[in-house]
Amino acid sequence: MAQVMMKDLNKKYDEVHAVKDVNLHIRDKEFVVLVGPSGCGKSTTLRMVAGLEEITSGEITIGDRIVNDLPPKDRDIAMVFQNYALYPHMTVYDNMAFGLKMRKFPKPEIQKRVQDAAEILGIQELLKRKPRQLSGGQRQRVAVGRAIVRHPQVFLFDEPLSNLDAKLRVQMRVELKRLHDRLETTAVYVTHDQVEAMTLGDRVVVMKDGWIQQVGEPLDLYSRPANKFVAGFIGSPAMNFIDVSLSDAGGLWAEGQGLRVKVAPAHATRLSAYKGQKVTLGLRPEDLRVASGGDPAEYTIDAVVDVVEPLGSEILLDLRAGQTTLVARVEPAVRAKVHETIKFALVPDRARFFDTKTELAI
Amino acid sequence: MAPAGALVLGILAYPVAWEIWASLTDFSSRAEGGPVFVGLANYGRLLGDTWFWKALATTLGYLAVTTTAKLVLGVGMALLLARPSRLRALVFLAVFLPWAYPGGITVIAWYWMLNPPLITSYSVFMGNVKHAVDGVLGAGAWAFLSVMLFNVWRGGSFTAVFLLAGLNAIPTELFEYARLESRSAWQRFRAVTLPLLAPYMALAVFLSFTTAFADLGNVWMLTGGRIIFPVVGTYAYWLAVKSGQLAEAATWTLALVPLLALGLVVLFRWFDPHEETPA
Amino acid sequence: MVIEKRWKTWVFFYIPLAVFVVGTLFPFYWMLITAIRPDAELYRSWRAATNTPFWTLQPTLEHFRDLMAKTTFPRWLWNTFFIAVASTLISLFCGLLAGYALARLRFPMAGTLGTSIFVTYLVPPTLLFIPLADIIRNFQLGNTPWALILTYPTFLIPFCTWLLMGYFKTIPKELEECARIDGATRFGAMTRIIFPIAVPGILSAGIFAFTLSWNEFIYALVFLSSPERKTVPVGVVSELIRGDIYFWGQLMAGALLGSIPVALVYSFFVEYYVTGLTGSVKG
Repeated sequence: MAQVMMKDLNKKYDEVHAVKDVNLHIRDKEFVVLVGPSGCGKSTTLRMVAGLEEITSGEITIGDRIVNDLPPKDRDIAMVFQNYALYPHMTVYDNMAFGLKMRKFPKPEIQKRVQDAAEILGIQELLKRKPRQLSGGQRQRVAVGRAIVRHPQVFLFDEPLSNLDAKLRVQMRVELKRLHDRLETTAVYVTHDQVEAMTLGDRVVVMKDGWIQQVGEPLDLYSRPANKFVAGFIGSPAMNFIDVSLSDAGGLWAEGQGLRVKVAPAHATRLSAYKGQKVTLGLRPEDLRVASGGDPAEYTIDAVVDVVEPLGSEILLDLRAGQTTLVARVEPAVRAKVHETIKFALVPDRARFFDTKTELAI
Repeated sequence: MAPAGALVLGILAYPVAWEIWASLTDFSSRAEGGPVFVGLANYGRLLGDTWFWKALATTLGYLAVTTTAKLVLGVGMALLLARPSRLRALVFLAVFLPWAYPGGITVIAWYWMLNPPLITSYSVFMGNVKHAVDGVLGAGAWAFLSVMLFNVWRGGSFTAVFLLAGLNAIPTELFEYARLESRSAWQRFRAVTLPLLAPYMALAVFLSFTTAFADLGNVWMLTGGRIIFPVVGTYAYWLAVKSGQLAEAATWTLALVPLLALGLVVLFRWFDPHEETPA
Repeated sequence: MVIEKRWKTWVFFYIPLAVFVVGTLFPFYWMLITAIRPDAELYRSWRAATNTPFWTLQPTLEHFRDLMAKTTFPRWLWNTFFIAVASTLISLFCGLLAGYALARLRFPMAGTLGTSIFVTYLVPPTLLFIPLADIIRNFQLGNTPWALILTYPTFLIPFCTWLLMGYFKTIPKELEECARIDGATRFGAMTRIIFPIAVPGILSAGIFAFTLSWNEFIYALVFLSSPERKTVPVGVVSELIRGDIYFWGQLMAGALLGSIPVALVYSFFVEYYVTGLTGSVKG
């Protein structure tokens, strides 16, 4: 168990600058998720921690050792790969025991640890089988088991659930979380799936183009995104963005793309500096609801229903409003028909504003 | 690791360099004293040698005929082999045996079959065949035809295995989709199988080229060491071993290089090993 | 399997297959018949009433006995075996290391080197023959098994390298990375994880190398001269053909016996061989 520190970490391939000035302090026992679109540098960062990629510049510390020049085997880490990377010529038992054998553990100790791990993961029955006789979910468990028998200081996960089908993925996600609560080992987890990131991470690191965009607890990222990218990346369906300009007409008004709404008093002071300028208004789909008679007119939008997606627990409505399109998440009781015009009320305090040029949150 | 790579190259680079050097001298195992540098004289003489041009023409004809035959046979067999059947093991044996069997020995069996040198139970029959063929195509034609037959027999099955590997590498969905879209098996073959197989065919053609060049042992044996239709490789070998004219032999061999290079360039436009993207 | 009319299956599948199998195997059948046919029958006239060219009624093992007793055939077998095994091992060892290096390590020129090895495999052996003869003479290795053990790798190593390189590329690199995290060195990961997984590829490269060495004719013919040092292909041909006299029965018996090891190796490993070949081509 140990903390992991990355200081001014950079990785350059011949022409690609894959990881740029990454600074990150992962605390002991913490579960940190690196998330971002493909090519954002998250896997490269993880592989540098593992020692599978050389560090171009910067410093990585695991525990209290600088590990820049340590080979992977001496870093006391364990890794779970996307394609599981189980050794096809060994049984499940041998797969799990391999790391311990390499470290010359006594046989009874190896047996005990493998048994324990197998029990935790419910794979005792599979120990004598070869990987190709296992289902995807079982392989995944073996890959995790192989990591936990080692009792490493840090777990590294590289998109471990991506090859599973949707149902199994949800199930394994829960199990991984339970496992972490039980083992309390520091974990770094890479994924492109923001739902995985939000559900698993104590803290989530959003990356894009090699830069860290924001580090924070899942709900913080959701409610207070640092910039437009994070706002759009976290949450599904994605946040609606509307380009507006701010004007003063009996309070602050946001107007653009055929829409006009009032800015909530809570935001007004911060936004007054942007008066007369272009900003981007961000509205989460769940912050749009069908208006009732009592909603004040300055916080409503008229929209035409384009597509209705009933999901059971909720309904997603694809809307056309002014010259833009919006998505709203509404109660399953709402009976909306295509082409119907509906008045939506927004939750004024929850609206987000971003500088259109820098894309930073205001 | 890198030393291993260097070793591989060295093993090949040294002989090639030696050969080029030898072709520029009058090196001969029978001459007194060391070899003398003679520049391009050997090449000049070679180009003026009608025997060389005849050998080249024969070689090209030999290549064209055997390669076409091997390719046609190979594609047909690969398609048959791709179909699962209970006899598959036997068929695979039939494919591998001609190729796995020592060529130097099977060539004797062919010689025995096609040109029985003694009065045996069927010599008269084969003798008649030989005279009939030679009568039409000129002396030695039957022997030369035997060489081709032998080369096709030996190489055709290898081509088949090679192309089978190619067929297996094509995703089955493509064939299934083609079944939905096309009307006849022939259409499917022309529109889907053939183009997808083309890179492997190109490679098979090249392998056939090089083995055909190398098949001097076969020619040597089947024609009983008498050179009626000279093939470039055979003649070079004969020069080197029988008369020790190493410089001339090297020149003859190197004369093949431009031909091979041309073949490579043409075929690599079809089949490009650079396609493999680094992981 | 796709539904098809029965007559079509016969015309387009079984009959061509049968023609192919019979055509391919006929020379072997002919060898066998010649080997067990008594001499009297062998030289009987075509027009004789008792002539049976395609089979024999009095099979005999006389030619096999003669081959064992009157020639140094067992000795040739041993020579061939020794030479083939030694040169195969050398080539496999070099091919494994070079193939692995080319498939995995990112060093400058790796791609070019890989392509050039592939190209050199395509270079006709004729091109190498003359210089090698010169080297063998200079080192005075002529008429020793080493002449062949050292020259065969010139064509075996490039092929093994190319085939194994292709095979290594089909093995996910994560397996190796995982092993390195599990506590193995790069070399350890190679020998404990990658090589065991590559067994089909290694076997097929080995089979290929073994066959080529076993069958090789030209180098063996030129580099070996004393009868007791020869290999099977050369021995059979050069010792059983004296001038114009062919000992046909013994010749064919020798041809059959001498190739049994290769045939055995193949029938055991055909599946491995095909996967090896397919794997490498796919990679």
